[in-house]
Amino acid sequence: MTLDTSLLAGTAVGKSVPKTDSAEKVLGRAEYIADMYLPGMLHGAILASPHAHAKIKGYDLTEALAAPGVVAIVTGDDVGEGRMGAFIKDEHAIAKGKVLYVGEPVAAVAARTEAEARRACQLIRVDYEELPAVLSPEAGLEDDAPILHEKLADYIKVFDAGSTGNLCSRTELVEGDVEAAWAECDVIVEGEFTTQPQAHVSIEPCGALATVDPAGRVTLWSANQSVFRVQANVCESLGLPMSQLRSLTPRVGAGFGNKMEPHIQPITVALAMKAKRPVKLILSREEDFEMVRARHPFRVKMKTGAKADGTIVARDCEVLVDCGAFADDSPGVMGYALLMCGGPYRIPNMRAAGQLVYTNKLRFGAFRGFGNPQVLFAGEQQIDELAEKLGMDPFEIRRKNLVASGDTWFVGPQVASCGMDRCLDAVEEAATKPRADGTPRNLGLSITAHISGLLGTGAIVRMLEDGTISLNTGATDIGQGSDTVLAQICAEELKLPFEQVAVASPDTDGSPYNWGTTASRVTYTTGRAVKGAARKVVDQAMAHAAEMLECPVEELELREGGRIGRVGSNSDVTFAQISGRAHWAIGGPIVGSDTLVFDQPTHDPKRAVALGLPFPRIGVFSFAATAVDVDIDQVSGQVSVHEAWTAADVGRAINPQLCEVQLYGGFVQGLGFAVVEEMVWDGARLANPSLMDYKVPTSRDVPDALHAIIVEDPDPTGPFGAKGVGEIGLNPVPGAVANAVAAATGFRHRHLPLTGERVLNGMIRAGTA
Amino acid sequence: MAKKQLFSLSVNGEEVDVASPSDATLLETLREDLRVLSPKRGCNQGVCGACTVLVDGVPVRSCLTLTALCEGHDIGTVDGMGEDPILATLQKHMVEKGGVQCGFCTGGMLMSARNLLAETPRPSRDTVKSALSGNICRCTGYRTIVDAVCGAAEELAQ
Amino acid sequence: MTQILQPETLDEALAVLAAEDEAMPMSGGATLVAMKNARLVEPTHLVSLDRIAGLRGIATLPDGRIRIGAMTRHFETASSALLTGSLSVLRQAAGKIANRVVRNMGTMGGSVANADPAADYLPALACCDAVLTIARAGGERELSILDYVEDWYETALEEGEVITAFTLPAPEESPSAYRKIARVTGDFATASCAMALTADGQGIRVAIGACGPGPLRDPEAEQALIGKLDDPDAVTALAERLVAMADPIDDVRGTADYRLALIPRLVRQGLDDLKKDLR
Ligand SMILES: Cc1cc2nc3c(=O)[nH]c(=O)nc-3n(C[C@H](O)[C@H](O)[C@H](O)COP(=O)(O)OP(=O)(O)OC[C@H]3O[C@@H](n4cnc5c(N)ncnc54)[C@H](O)[C@@H]3O)c2cc1C
Ligand code: FES
Ligand code: FES
Repeated sequence: MTLDTSLLAGTAVGKSVPKTDSAEKVLGRAEYIADMYLPGMLHGAILASPHAHAKIKGYDLTEALAAPGVVAIVTGDDVGEGRMGAFIKDEHAIAKGKVLYVGEPVAAVAARTEAEARRACQLIRVDYEELPAVLSPEAGLEDDAPILHEKLADYIKVFDAGSTGNLCSRTELVEGDVEAAWAECDVIVEGEFTTQPQAHVSIEPCGALATVDPAGRVTLWSANQSVFRVQANVCESLGLPMSQLRSLTPRVGAGFGNKMEPHIQPITVALAMKAKRPVKLILSREEDFEMVRARHPFRVKMKTGAKADGTIVARDCEVLVDCGAFADDSPGVMGYALLMCGGPYRIPNMRAAGQLVYTNKLRFGAFRGFGNPQVLFAGEQQIDELAEKLGMDPFEIRRKNLVASGDTWFVGPQVASCGMDRCLDAVEEAATKPRADGTPRNLGLSITAHISGLLGTGAIVRMLEDGTISLNTGATDIGQGSDTVLAQICAEELKLPFEQVAVASPDTDGSPYNWGTTASRVTYTTGRAVKGAARKVVDQAMAHAAEMLECPVEELELREGGRIGRVGSNSDVTFAQISGRAHWAIGGPIVGSDTLVFDQPTHDPKRAVALGLPFPRIGVFSFAATAVDVDIDQVSGQVSVHEAWTAADVGRAINPQLCEVQLYGGFVQGLGFAVVEEMVWDGARLANPSLMDYKVPTSRDVPDALHAIIVEDPDPTGPFGAKGVGEIGLNPVPGAVANAVAAATGFRHRHLPLTGERVLNGMIRAGTA
Repeated sequence: MAKKQLFSLSVNGEEVDVASPSDATLLETLREDLRVLSPKRGCNQGVCGACTVLVDGVPVRSCLTLTALCEGHDIGTVDGMGEDPILATLQKHMVEKGGVQCGFCTGGMLMSARNLLAETPRPSRDTVKSALSGNICRCTGYRTIVDAVCGAAEELAQ
Repeated sequence: MTQILQPETLDEALAVLAAEDEAMPMSGGATLVAMKNARLVEPTHLVSLDRIAGLRGIATLPDGRIRIGAMTRHFETASSALLTGSLSVLRQAAGKIANRVVRNMGTMGGSVANADPAADYLPALACCDAVLTIARAGGERELSILDYVEDWYETALEEGEVITAFTLPAPEESPSAYRKIARVTGDFATASCAMALTADGQGIRVAIGACGPGPLRDPEAEQALIGKLDDPDAVTALAERLVAMADPIDDVRGTADYRLALIPRLVRQGLDDLKKDLR
């Protein structure tokens, strides 16, 4: 559904203006990291570990250094003891002393061409002493399991992780009395669910380009979701003062979490420092699969109980999460999954507990949804199971238990705005109409909440001499359109035409801090800072105008098009006149800046017990409902989606079209997760690290009838009421598909993905094949 | 450095002599030796479609095409085909309909779409989806891209 | 570094292939260049067949048979007006290979030479009783497609030999169909089934793909089914024979068990669909 934008007031907010970078992109002129070249630039390549777990006893670089074109080689010997990590600082810039997974970077070469660098990598000899490997979280918890991180106890941790042995972290959240509550339940469902690792497959593989100036200061461009996280990670791992590294971004070929924390930026910087020349390092697709990160596989044990009337009384959820070799964002993912595992329902008695275990695999990390899709896959199926047992309609049972604005979320966050009920209504109305061809629908429903928020952000709004605006936020636009949306917010606050706001590219030298393009947060948090900064510009301009028009500020009004005038009079002054005065005569150039950190506590100790909670402060809540209508191929068991609807409460759609595209894109990525995508390990080695073997949906594998419905329940703190929309469209998809498959085949699947093979086996077991 | 050979190519209507490794792929020659950067390396295996270019008007994978075989053929890339009316219409609709997110797939996608509209003036949505199925987009869910191609087809048919 | 050669005659090409140990013929390059990019092959010479006249195109021979040049691109095969009726299975198979862009590049000769067990042409050609023409320096031979694949990625093709053409019997009016099961559009097959009704509508030819090193076909069992297409037990018997011949593997596209389960389902569904076509 497209919102009728003509009905919305204002100059910019609520309008589907095309993204500011679309023109350069359709013309093939957008510059991504691989498109950057500097004079004298070398090309880098990485040697990956062939072992899952081994001691590095030494390197022989003789042959590689003598190979044609080679200028420098970096190994663990070249980096200090520094370690990086968002929650637990456990990761060196490059393997040092030990390798922890097949594919881990062990050495890197800078040479004149990429081919030469790659060839030279093969000439590096590494002396390994193999160690037994841990290939599953269950194995990692065994008493005699080999230990990945011997110095885990000494690592810096930003929260009470409870780390020990291979246990990276543990979290437990309790509210109410779950054990006592089972007695109140008339029906209880219980089950174990597993989800598979999913690869991000940003179409642009990760890459970086670093150069060092004669004074030793580093400039680094990279494919990223936060120039500031890049700066912090590189400096932590290489022991550089942050002032010695400038981090920037070209256009980014999407990031779904994989470009938030570091990938190969520290290695690229180390190579450039050693080679004393610019070095560009671009991963191959295979390396991007093997070296970066992926969505966590979860094992979820869940139990949910309800009264005969459908009121949910209690839920218990226990997760076992594969961390991979490094903590990365994993403690956050698990903690967040536990916080969200109740779904958007009022459940008075809840216990959620999890263990995160190091294994000798690629690190698992942030991926759109951040643990929410995994627990929802379990939770939303259990809601349907309860409904089945009670003979209730899936819409009805959900409606009966929905959260509402003013509620307190599990363990303590406040739900200040909530359009969940409207999302559910909208989807019900659309999805319960019969198919056009009269064949029966196989509907599956799933609903979700997601936060947008977290941590620090800032904005600087500068009025240029001619009264137009330069906006600088430090938020990386990874293609989702945040530059456009933030410019819309800025333009709206200043009542300027959208075109008069230019957005600066993030640069740690010149941009205010921004934690990153993650957690569905940019529109909400950075939008707030932009609005605040723009308001300060208005205030300064008003002060000038008061002097120029010789009247009190209270009598002035901001008018469309960058003018300030006296209420009730036609005379006014333009931003150009005001800014000229400020620049050349009185007061100085007009600059508004604002910063904030999301500061509402996650945990209310009076309500709940929270152990090992990685987010003391979290965010505001968005909501969504998704219904899918599936077809099952009777020969192969393969699931295809005939039609799908997602209604999302985004607070306020600053740019409705961009919200819709988030919902479409999230749906399809979720559909891939639900039915086909799976990273498969053959022992310690990833068996399908290529797009030939790891498949994502193509244009022919997605429903044409894909509907996005925008619901607006404005959040009191959001800019113009806006909340996030980046992840919420993916979350409900696996659960909705599983519910639809259960409806269609009579068999309920507890393991993802729902491949043709699994579904066919289910049909055979249910006697519906 | 690997032995280079001089190739005579016609790229976006311009005759160029370029020194490139004798067994280079067209993608390598375009990017590394000619700095024609709109074809992207997303997989180097022919799967993703980001490197798709036109050879004599026909879309091919530049990562699977050897430069040596391209002498005497016309190579077209999205950044150099400004005059092409079909492409221009597609580009306009891609911008308007929100068919562009990160943009990494966009150039290759447009090459496939252009070929489709050159062959099939009024394609059904299904035909559009088939024609684009060799270009992976991880951002848009394809919906707005199909909208854009259909919109362009309609405009061109008028 | 690989030397790229572009001979203009078949003899020249065959001479190089005979003389150079590590020379490889190249057709569309869709597989070969991908392998070279991944450093899975590093031949001294690539001998492109692209400039050799007469290797590309589909034509009807004077006796009604169809000849497909080895360099014919998949998209040409997929849109050929000559592949009708009993041969439409091959046209359909070509149209299900990869995607349009790869179909502009890949060739039938290259695909068959590469002999990926999951590739689409092998079962379709087997269903059509195709005959390969294979040339080498100083000679030429013909070989039935059913004798072509010897083991996993091993074929009757010898060093220095090149496939030049495929000859198919004249098309019959009876319907044929290619059904491919793949994880997503454009993936190689998890399993596939090429099936044609015989001219009299009393029997079928059926070949299964991706369930063993080569396509599975059992002409004897097909004989036994003649006249019994409406007898479910007889159809099951044929399917069981194909299952018994199968030697599938577990891979990322599916398990061996899944493939075994698919064979009878593909056969039954395929037959139902063809019978519907007939009506
Ligand atoms: C993304 C992608 C998806 C694909 N999906 C499918 C699919 O779904 N189904 C499918 O069937 N195929 C698929 N393929 C394979 C595609 O059909 C290839 O084109 C084909 O397998 C090889 O044909 P080619 O002409 O490109 O051969 P080349 O790559 O040129 O050669 C392949 C091999 O055959 C040898 N060779 C080539 N020609 C001859 C000849 N005439 N005689 C003897 N030897 C020869 C070469 O030396 C080489 O070893 C896919 C390929 C790609 C890149
Ligand atoms: S880079 Fe050529 S298809 Fe992916
Ligand atoms: S827009 Fe990002 S991959 Fe298509």
